[in-house]
Amino acid sequence: MTTPPDSKLQTHLNSCVRCGLCADSCMYYKAYKEAKYIPAAKVKIVTAAYRRFPKKKISEKMLREMVDLLFGSCTMCGRCVKHCSIGVDIPYLVRKGREIVAAMDKVPSSLQATVDAALRSGNNMAIPADEFRDTIQWMEEELQDEVNDPAACIPLDQPQKNIHYTLNPREPKFFPLSITAMAKIFYAARERWTLSSKFYDVTNYGLFSGDNSAARQIAGNLYDETHRLQADRLVLGECGHGTRASRWEGPNWLQTACDFEVLSAVELMGEYIRQGRIRLDKTLNQKIYTLHDPCNLVRNGGLCNELRFVVQNAVVHLVEMTPHGVDNFCCGGGGGNLAMSEYNERRLKTGAIKAEQIRQTGAKVVITPCHNCVDQLIQLNHTYKLGVEIKTVAEIVADALILT
Amino acid sequence: MALGALLLCKMLFIVRLWSLIRAGAPKDLSKPMGSVCKGVVYSYTKAMLPHHKESARLHLPTFTAGLVFHAGIFLSILTFIWFIVTTVFDCSMPQMVTDSCGGFLVATTGCGMAILLKRLFNRELRALSCADDYISNGISSLFQLATAGYLFFHEPLSYYIVASLFFLWLPMGKTRHLLYFFAARFHLGFFYGRRGSWPITRE
Ligand code: SF4
Ligand code: SF4
Repeated sequence: MTTPPDSKLQTHLNSCVRCGLCADSCMYYKAYKEAKYIPAAKVKIVTAAYRRFPKKKISEKMLREMVDLLFGSCTMCGRCVKHCSIGVDIPYLVRKGREIVAAMDKVPSSLQATVDAALRSGNNMAIPADEFRDTIQWMEEELQDEVNDPAACIPLDQPQKNIHYTLNPREPKFFPLSITAMAKIFYAARERWTLSSKFYDVTNYGLFSGDNSAARQIAGNLYDETHRLQADRLVLGECGHGTRASRWEGPNWLQTACDFEVLSAVELMGEYIRQGRIRLDKTLNQKIYTLHDPCNLVRNGGLCNELRFVVQNAVVHLVEMTPHGVDNFCCGGGGGNLAMSEYNERRLKTGAIKAEQIRQTGAKVVITPCHNCVDQLIQLNHTYKLGVEIKTVAEIVADALILT
Repeated sequence: MALGALLLCKMLFIVRLWSLIRAGAPKDLSKPMGSVCKGVVYSYTKAMLPHHKESARLHLPTFTAGLVFHAGIFLSILTFIWFIVTTVFDCSMPQMVTDSCGGFLVATTGCGMAILLKRLFNRELRALSCADDYISNGISSLFQLATAGYLFFHEPLSYYIVASLFFLWLPMGKTRHLLYFFAARFHLGFFYGRRGSWPITRE
């Protein structure tokens, strides 16, 4: 094998002993009980690809298999890593394999279209600027009604604020009330904040497509916009992979450390609660709640405890899933799978594990700080007839706010 | 011959280690949220225990057999070094110790064979496997058995042939995880420690 320059890559390409003990940690294997879904099978194909690429050609058959295994059979959730006998970073290798596929222009077309839309329009749903402005204006009116203050606003493109806040484009497109929820929290905290009308998209599907130059450009858009707005902090809206992309991967893609603070909405809400900038009355949220841990915020983002701190301040009855926290199962929508319609059936089938976890809690509401997870959970709710509501953290915090 | 194989084995591992060192420590420009040091310590310690590792919990017999098997490999390597020392310095081990080691190595060989049989008979594991898996397990088990045999019967020829094969294979087969295991645990500790995910402070 040609020696790759990176010690992490060298290590993980040489570590798997094919003991197969990782099998049960992966929802794909659990759902299908087929050898090809064992995490080690994904390691195996990436290792084989690295033996060839870039010097030798990768056959069409192998490439097809790589696409199916690395895109359609892995959400890069990382659950298998902790349970691997050796400590092989399987999602890291899967991402490396996706880089090879991207270099050969074979990224599933639906995922590629999402990346292209973000590159072209600044947001992955290609929402026109006018439509976005209209939605924000409408949500501003909702906010004014809700807080009973005609001066309450959702600022757009205002420079020199403390916070440049970002959204998942699913919010203006499908769930605009979550924007109002966060705006209500900002209102209560008397925050100086703004949205950008051009670069507000927190998502970065370059993380999933394996195209580092696209990922770099998308991450750069947010960083440049934060500079242009002269904001002190970039706050990442409720999106697992988007937070990972901007908070953790972005500086490495851009080869520069951030000169402003980057934090997630969950951390910000935690900060407001600790500093007494917002006060919550958890008795306003009286149902039975459970919490879905987005892989990229919790297992891969270190927010396990912070997330619980915020949620426990906002609801009375929280029933944890089994397992939860860093051991939680992915909802099935990660890794770009929600964007890849090619794998819809598989995505819903693997989601059965999450659906069962939810059912076992007896909860009436599932809270999750990720709009992609929200989307998948809504589909699981429908498919598996769970009869639950799905809410973001901002929504339940906004519901518990005491406005003085 | 076996000593030569051991030296070659050492050299190949040094080359691999040098390649890792030359590639440098991981670089990460994001602002850390946790401690790399604590993450690495956790990675080498608690993270390996069944309480923290679902795969070990769910497959306790295989996990235990694996641990015993690996203990057997390390004991066999130490015994080999001991044989060299005794040849040079003309000393010996008490009979009780050699018999106990021999007995233990028979047991560890049994564990190796059990793991090999599992690989042979489990359909999914078989599908995942390649020649390296069978050779690595076979040769490591054989080395332990040969060590036990030498401890009991003092028959050097077959022992040193098997030992030579083992040392030649060690840095080439998947057995090279002797080195990469430690590197992988370091990288995991670095990654998850930095991100504040490890050590896990809440279950
Ligand atoms: S548990 Fe780790 S070493 Fe074992 S097969 Fe899975 S990835 Fe490979
Ligand atoms: S990262 Fe998640 S989906 Fe991918 S192999 Fe591991 S457990 Fe399975």
